[in-house]
Amino acid sequence: MPFVKRDVPAPSTAGGQPEDGRASHEDNLAAHIAALGSPDTEARWNAARALGGRADAVPALAAALGVESAARVREAIMTALMRVGDEASVMALLPYLRSQDAAERGASIEALQALPEAIVPFMAPLLADGDSDVRLLATELARNMPAKSATRMLCRLLEHEQHPNVCAAAIDVLAEVGTRDAVPALQACAERFAATPFLPFAVSIAIARISDTDR
Amino acid sequence: MTDVERAAAPSRRRILVVDDSALVRLYYRDTLEKAGFEVEQAINGIEAMEKVLARPFDLVIVDVNMPRMDGFSFLRTLRRSAAEVATLPALVITTEAGEQDAEAARAAGANFYLIKPVSQLDLLRHAAVLSGAPA
Amino acid sequence: MSGSEAHGSHVVRVTPDDVRRLCEFLYRRTGMLFDDNKRYYIDRRLVERIVATRSDSFQAYFAILRSDADHEIEHLINTFTVNETYFNREEHQLRCMTSDLLGNVIRKKRAGEPIRIWSIPCSTGEEPYSIAVWLMENWSLVDTYNIEIVGSDIDTRALAAAAKGVYGERSLMRLSRDVVGRYFQPVAGGGHQIDPGLRESIQFTRANLIDPTDMARYRGFDIVFCRNVLIYFDDSSRRIAAENLYDCLGAGGYICLGHSETMSRISPLFRVCRFSDAIVYQRPEADHDGR
Repeated sequence: MPFVKRDVPAPSTAGGQPEDGRASHEDNLAAHIAALGSPDTEARWNAARALGGRADAVPALAAALGVESAARVREAIMTALMRVGDEASVMALLPYLRSQDAAERGASIEALQALPEAIVPFMAPLLADGDSDVRLLATELARNMPAKSATRMLCRLLEHEQHPNVCAAAIDVLAEVGTRDAVPALQACAERFAATPFLPFAVSIAIARISDTDR
Repeated sequence: MTDVERAAAPSRRRILVVDDSALVRLYYRDTLEKAGFEVEQAINGIEAMEKVLARPFDLVIVDVNMPRMDGFSFLRTLRRSAAEVATLPALVITTEAGEQDAEAARAAGANFYLIKPVSQLDLLRHAAVLSGAPA
Repeated sequence: MSGSEAHGSHVVRVTPDDVRRLCEFLYRRTGMLFDDNKRYYIDRRLVERIVATRSDSFQAYFAILRSDADHEIEHLINTFTVNETYFNREEHQLRCMTSDLLGNVIRKKRAGEPIRIWSIPCSTGEEPYSIAVWLMENWSLVDTYNIEIVGSDIDTRALAAAAKGVYGERSLMRLSRDVVGRYFQPVAGGGHQIDPGLRESIQFTRANLIDPTDMARYRGFDIVFCRNVLIYFDDSSRRIAAENLYDCLGAGGYICLGHSETMSRISPLFRVCRFSDAIVYQRPEADHDGR
């Protein structure tokens, strides 16, 4: 038989944490944080992953994110922040909604979308942001929220929103999440944008989805 | 439509629409299918790569803002791929007007770009020209 | 067209737009596409789940589904996918392994360096044993290389069954009589036991995809089969598992997902590779600069 059975190594405490307990949790934190600044991509990758879910590492992770050049390390840092999921980690991720880089914007949306509770206090200001791109991306964050609150937030946006692409994004989320309460705001939107491509179509689909349902 | 059927009816061009909005994809599909195109969809650049590698297309219409792999990253990956796929015509849909996005689209390998929301007429005109469909 | 089911005295009505909304959600979340032709298929399963979750409306059920309460997404998907494990499930991936992947793998191997293949989750062992048998039967270079096959699962009872290697007729249905004859012995009380040589050859271990301590034990794999598990994880676990699997692969190593799964719903870390028999994913050979 050409098959070789080699013993898989026994579990050690992963990520360089020594078993003897002499080095404290604090020392490990310091070591990993230092490694976040290593010139070696692999070291930074390992550090980001080891710091996943550690609230005390959020400032260091946030700082590292700002200067990280390797896409996979950026991804790992965002995962680490997402796993903390507190207000500080949300604040570390939010600036990337404004990035000039489409990939960074997408990555931050993905991470933030996984935190529907932590993001709640930020939603109103995001949906009222002066930058239409930020408002547009923020609508996506409502998708994983409970139907009632998502509907309320997005309808409030629709009532005043002038930018067609922001409306389009809100309508897409409402088509999935919206309750019947969304219908008036959707209809008003379709009227306001009657001469704009796509929006009347989007509204008609969204209304069909959310009205033709048993209550 | 099978590849055999397609070979027998070459005017049926295949277009891949890539956008993470279900409503946008529906809008493009309805418009293009009524005009006789065969349409498939993807929600991000990774799925788009899977689809273009799996079956031949005449055009890809790709949004810029998608999670996991945005439109520009997809285009760069596409242009680095094997020859039969790398030359696939690409129409990029951006949200911004202005020089910056046009330049970025060009640099990533787009053949043309449009600004959303896209009218059905613009969509059809560009789809026809870029996919090489007869006028 | 609509479905309905009596639930107590309340009939739950499911409309075509409800089904469309559900299908759009499923497509976005999993990549599984149910177009108009396949909608009828979903109708019935949807009503089944509405009843099973005691939902009094589609809206109520959809809220459960969206929040993935009690793993409802997995329950729903399980109503329309075949769950059982058997030998040579998704044979096209095995074919891809011998037709394409191994050729690339061996190009980078130094003399004596083994080929490492991992099946996780391996459940009751059908997958790692299938890999071993397939290699023996289909790879001309099988005797030229040392091949390590590891099978891992979170379920120790499944692992115990895998180590025993006894299977019923159904599990062997995709194997030819010849192959069964070559690698299995009938056992008393029914069933077929796989060759002791193969049982001795495969390393079975307990491992949890999202546990960093577990996953740190696995490095340098050339091919990983990780089928029909990632798509059921929540957002956070999917990312952690993907990052772990990245680390377990050697540079240029391949990962195969389940038939209805796609990395587009899981992680951007891997390159899409198209071969004649399958789409697989690859840990890049090197990091690209910046973007």
